[in-house]
Amino acid sequence: MTKKILLIEPDNVLADIYRNGLSSMGLNVISAYNAQQAIILADDESPDLVICELQLVDHSGVEFLYEFRSYADWLKIPIIILSIVPPYEFSCSQIGLKRELGVESYLYKPQTNLHRLLEVVGSTLNS
Amino acid sequence: MNTDLGSILLLQVQSIEGSIVVDDSSNIQLNSVSQQLLLSIAEQMKMPLLQISRQAEIGSMGLTSDFTNIQTLAENALSLIDGYSLGLQLNRKLSYELESESVSVSSILYDADQQLKALARLYNVQLELNIGGKYGPVLAHKKGLLAAIIGLASAIIEALPSQPDETQKTLSLATHRCRYGIVAGVYANIPGISSDALKRGRKLYGFSRQPLVEISHTSGAGIFVADSILKAMKLNLHVSRHRRMYGLGVVLQPSSQLTMV
Repeated sequence: MTKKILLIEPDNVLADIYRNGLSSMGLNVISAYNAQQAIILADDESPDLVICELQLVDHSGVEFLYEFRSYADWLKIPIIILSIVPPYEFSCSQIGLKRELGVESYLYKPQTNLHRLLEVVGSTLNS
Repeated sequence: MNTDLGSILLLQVQSIEGSIVVDDSSNIQLNSVSQQLLLSIAEQMKMPLLQISRQAEIGSMGLTSDFTNIQTLAENALSLIDGYSLGLQLNRKLSYELESESVSVSSILYDADQQLKALARLYNVQLELNIGGKYGPVLAHKKGLLAAIIGLASAIIEALPSQPDETQKTLSLATHRCRYGIVAGVYANIPGISSDALKRGRKLYGFSRQPLVEISHTSGAGIFVADSILKAMKLNLHVSRHRRMYGLGVVLQPSSQLTMV
């Protein structure tokens, strides 16, 4: 069965590019541009994996992830952070991101090409 | 296209960021307004470079890559850099060419509309031009006013798709008369645009990656570049409304002498 990815990316040019790349792996990608849309889509589509930017309009991505994890049905959905925010800014809270929010990987956009993203998505879905 | 190009450009931006002084406690020390603006630009520039780099990578993977989009993104990034350097020149009065002149607001907005069409199309934003009504010329620096309008409009175009509202996103370049003068501005359906948000953003830019959190997911550098250009022209950027749309505009003074001529 085709796996479903919820991509939360506020920039629609980047969202199109990531959607293209992930679809080429045979994945079904649904895109949300903001936190509100993401909650609605997660409810409607029950994704197998969430890829999330941390800089969202009107919301911090971390705030969104806490809200996302507050729903029992979504506790086990793996989350990959793909963000413009460098990981060293989260160095103190990396453990929190993993333990409390179940973040599988933190990818820094400028240093993550599509090839690497597809690799991480593939291994997360298979694990 | 060589995919390494995008990566090289991204490294350049990271090295600009790295050149900003960082003290022992990792707090960024920003000595001047221009350094704050530079950091905001560096943060903003990551976006087009990322888009170009990933677009090129998509092409190298054998998937469809649109070269027109790459051109649009690069040109928009270039105009932001141009706006930044023009702002610096205006603030330092580096050139005799930077004198004010008689300017038609309608023609400035028309030129901006022409330059922004491709970017608006790329972001699925409908671009409108509202320059009806006869307003006399104003005294301003023509290049500066055009760069400010383009900076503002680009920042809002990029921010529009991520707004919660599901309706078709529209950006209006408009002019109207108010009791203080003639307003030239950019307007859209972003309820987050408020005087408080702008005031907070001005305090935070250069210190926060996303100073205008209610408006944009980026550093919103276009807005601060416009702010700096307008300040150099002794003008102020205000939150403004036009036909039920929220936006940012500048009040320009008509020149009665020029109107008589």
